[in-house]
Amino acid sequence: MLARPSISEKPARFDWVLLCALLGLMVLGVLFIHSARYATESGAGVLWFKQLHFRQAVFYALGLGAAAAVCVVPYQTLARWSYVFYWASILLLVLVLIPHIGKAAYGARRWIDLGIFQLQPSEIAKIAFILALGNFLARPLDELKLTGNFWKALAMLGLPFALILVEPDLGSALVLIPTGFVMMYVAGIPAKYLRRFLSGSALIVALILVDVLFAPPGWQLKLQDYQRRRLLVYFGLDHKYFAPPNATAAELQKARIQERNDSYNVEQALISVGSGGLTGKGWRQGTQNVLGYLPRAVAHNDFIFSVLAEESGFVGSVVVLSLYAVVLFAGIRIAGQARDRLGKMMAAGVVALLFSHMFINIGMNIRLMPVTGVPLPLLSYGGTSVICTLVAAGLLQNIYLHRRSY
Amino acid sequence: MLVFDQLKKQDSQLRLVAMVLAAGFCVLLAGLWYVQVFSSKRFADSLEDQAVRSVRIPAVRGKVLDRNGQPLAENRPTYNVELYLAELGKHFHAEYLRIRPASVRTRAEREQLEWSARYNVVSNITAQVSDWLQQPQVIDQKKFQRHYNEVRALPISILQNLNASQVARFAERPGVFPGLDLEIQPLRVYPHGSLAAHVLGSLTRDESSQEEEDAFYHYRLPDWKGVTGMEGVFDGQLRGAAGTKSMTVNRLGYRQQETMLRAPEPGDNLVLTLDFKLQRAVEAALVSSMFGAQTRGAAVVMDVQTGDVLAMASAPTFEPIEFMGRISTEHWTNVLNHPIQKPMLNRAAQENYHPGSILKMLTALAALEMEKLDPMEIFNVEADPERPGKGCIYVGNRKIKDTVANGPYNFKKALMHSSNSYFIYHGLKPGVLQKIIMLGEKFHLGERTGILPRQETAGEFPDQTDLVRRWQPGDTANLCIGQGKVSVSPLQIAVMTSAIANGGKVFWPRLVLRLEPSDPQFGEKVSEFPPRVRDDLGVKPENLRLIHEAMLAEVEEAGGTGSGAIIKGLKIGGKTGTAEIEQGGKIVDKTTWFASFAPVDRPKWAVIVMVESGASGGKTCAPIAKLIYEALQKRERDAGQKNSALASLN
Repeated sequence: MLARPSISEKPARFDWVLLCALLGLMVLGVLFIHSARYATESGAGVLWFKQLHFRQAVFYALGLGAAAAVCVVPYQTLARWSYVFYWASILLLVLVLIPHIGKAAYGARRWIDLGIFQLQPSEIAKIAFILALGNFLARPLDELKLTGNFWKALAMLGLPFALILVEPDLGSALVLIPTGFVMMYVAGIPAKYLRRFLSGSALIVALILVDVLFAPPGWQLKLQDYQRRRLLVYFGLDHKYFAPPNATAAELQKARIQERNDSYNVEQALISVGSGGLTGKGWRQGTQNVLGYLPRAVAHNDFIFSVLAEESGFVGSVVVLSLYAVVLFAGIRIAGQARDRLGKMMAAGVVALLFSHMFINIGMNIRLMPVTGVPLPLLSYGGTSVICTLVAAGLLQNIYLHRRSY
Repeated sequence: MLVFDQLKKQDSQLRLVAMVLAAGFCVLLAGLWYVQVFSSKRFADSLEDQAVRSVRIPAVRGKVLDRNGQPLAENRPTYNVELYLAELGKHFHAEYLRIRPASVRTRAEREQLEWSARYNVVSNITAQVSDWLQQPQVIDQKKFQRHYNEVRALPISILQNLNASQVARFAERPGVFPGLDLEIQPLRVYPHGSLAAHVLGSLTRDESSQEEEDAFYHYRLPDWKGVTGMEGVFDGQLRGAAGTKSMTVNRLGYRQQETMLRAPEPGDNLVLTLDFKLQRAVEAALVSSMFGAQTRGAAVVMDVQTGDVLAMASAPTFEPIEFMGRISTEHWTNVLNHPIQKPMLNRAAQENYHPGSILKMLTALAALEMEKLDPMEIFNVEADPERPGKGCIYVGNRKIKDTVANGPYNFKKALMHSSNSYFIYHGLKPGVLQKIIMLGEKFHLGERTGILPRQETAGEFPDQTDLVRRWQPGDTANLCIGQGKVSVSPLQIAVMTSAIANGGKVFWPRLVLRLEPSDPQFGEKVSEFPPRVRDDLGVKPENLRLIHEAMLAEVEEAGGTGSGAIIKGLKIGGKTGTAEIEQGGKIVDKTTWFASFAPVDRPKWAVIVMVESGASGGKTCAPIAKLIYEALQKRERDAGQKNSALASLN
């Protein structure tokens, strides 16, 4: 949004603004992952190349390489292969559910252990989904008015959604809904279908919530107990209503203590963010994280924003938001300038995906959103997430690069 | 916005998406502003609280005193040498540099080295101090690691329980060893060992919080909880209120400064009705039986005018202090939990026995009250054809043996010789059984006395409903002589005997005189526990007098079964009992009793002695009672001397 549209006949080869914003986020990512892990790693004498911020930098490099590779092939060509990517990602999503292949941690099967690297298929599936849905919706507008096509588009969304949901990874599954919706909207699917889609997904989300919170144990989605309790905390529901009906006083007391513990993460994240104040406490000076109040297991990934906000204050938060804004509005501009509907939809999908991640993650740090394990793009530690985000950004560049290649 | 200008005018969809995005950013921005700027101070405050660790400091436990203020359980200061790790940082580092080899490769190696450095420093200091104080001590590496990981801000205890000269030696060299300090902690002690152990009870380590106390402490200093006996019943009052100390910790978790938020309030002192000297004499008397230290029995001394328990002993006994340490499995199975000895069992209240002949007091009273027994009337005890010279009685077609010789018996003779036939004969008369049941209810036999809530059993006594259900004359006969469906604790018999002695007042036995503040300057109210009458027998005084006379005769007159208790100058009324424990028609064991009170003309004390597997009430229990009465006499003489000494001072 800073670059004036180029007047010259020769189109700009590259969207430098987008790249700069991404680089800015990556620098912040390395700095604050280092800060978040400082207490754990430096104290224990972890060698520098094993420290997580270094590993993150390696992921950035890999991601940038992948993004560059994505730019080489025009997106139209990529779209032709999109169904292959899509089904490959579905295969991975199925594989991850199989014990011994999928690695279980915190009660969910989300990773495939590749030795040096843990692959998170749901992240890949998000990109593959954008490509495939974009390709599908790129057909002539008249065809989009057919009911059958609308249902097919829905099915393309529903399959990865269901597979990710059973991992279970509620956050990643839900992110697909706004992404799909924005793509369909931008594609020009008739409003009546969109209304149906919107009310349908609202119904599904409501059903999932009601199911998780209130259904008898036998009927519940197989969420881990802790995930269910996180939702209880978010909705401010008292644990005692969920104790067995004939609970004794001791059990009720236990439920109360549990509630206290459950709201702990959220409380501590909020204290971190809030105590940052206007200008923060300075890099590596945050006490919340050093003293271990922000649980060490999540400080560098899901709650990295708390660390950043505590140490750099409101100023730092605004910088982060601005960088995301630059990336996302650059994405919208790219969508607007795209040569065809395929490019427009893909760009819009990428924007919607990144925005959903950012909104949910920052939102959960300040208690606007329930705690779900959605990473903050580029800032949270995590190889698959970083690489996929950069690949998505590469896709934007690709659309931009090929906007005039008639 | 610039983006909007660049979007084609007709591209309404992207415009809307961009607007939604902008709205989303605004929401986040507003949220962040609210949290980080608007309410930042609130969060900064809660952050400040978090660098503070709270430490729970247990209060000094109240003492347990006897009725004259003699301590039965108190606290002794223990002096411990403690080491503050925070002050050793430099030493740890120096040691680390010293032991570090030329190159440290892995993280694990480095961590291991750091641990060894810390442990070396701490164990060196420990060695030096223990050498200086001549108390060899080695600090356990695992224990140190755990302490360092979990409660770094608290000092680690190096040497415990220093004696006076060690304290003096330590004080001679202040500041020579880094980080050391002398701390005082109160420790529960029972100055008289096992004395009154069953009444006092025992403590166990406790990590929980009491009511109305913040349940979330970061650290806790060791505390104790009473589980049994008076320590258990009055735990809340004895414990006092724990205090809180807050410690500010720095980034590394070491202690920076310390403030006392709330000082612990010491627990109240508990004043018992027990008399320390008497209790000691009673316990000694109990094990003077033919079984010696193996005696299984109990004795209760009660003030008949108030229901005060002056002494309550159960043998064998245990040392309450044992429960504060670790009890080995061997010790537990072979001694504390021995299936026959059962030293933990308070036989005075927690176990029930057939009363045997001592229940004849009740039978006699019932028959006299119903006017079915004329004390002068002669009853002829039939001769037992199988046992020449012994009597018996037939109830229905069942023969019940008598221990006395056949021949004529009046009331006094029957009671002093303890004739079964006589009391069965009168007990079977119409109406007497009803009266026995009624009086049993008044004596509250078969009910708990409430003295030690969790360590008491109710026992058994028939009630009205039993009478309608298959009650046979044989059952009545058994009841009249304290066999069959009746079992009692020595404490219940003490209450019953006291009521017979004092003219009919059935007391709630009293074990606690008052709870008083540990330090009078606290000015808290003393709570008194006045004597409480539970029931009144409502019987004729002359009937009680008849029983008193007969009981006196049982001790004092020739041929009385209780003659083992006779003391010159003290008129004791007693009743012996020997209850038989049958299993499969055979007598397997006996419970021997002596229930008594004195002086007969002006009753003051009831003394109950029960010994399991004794020879007979007269032979086993009466001599023990005699020793107890001698102690009571001495106690009275001492009190008299004290009074006269006081009088002469005035």
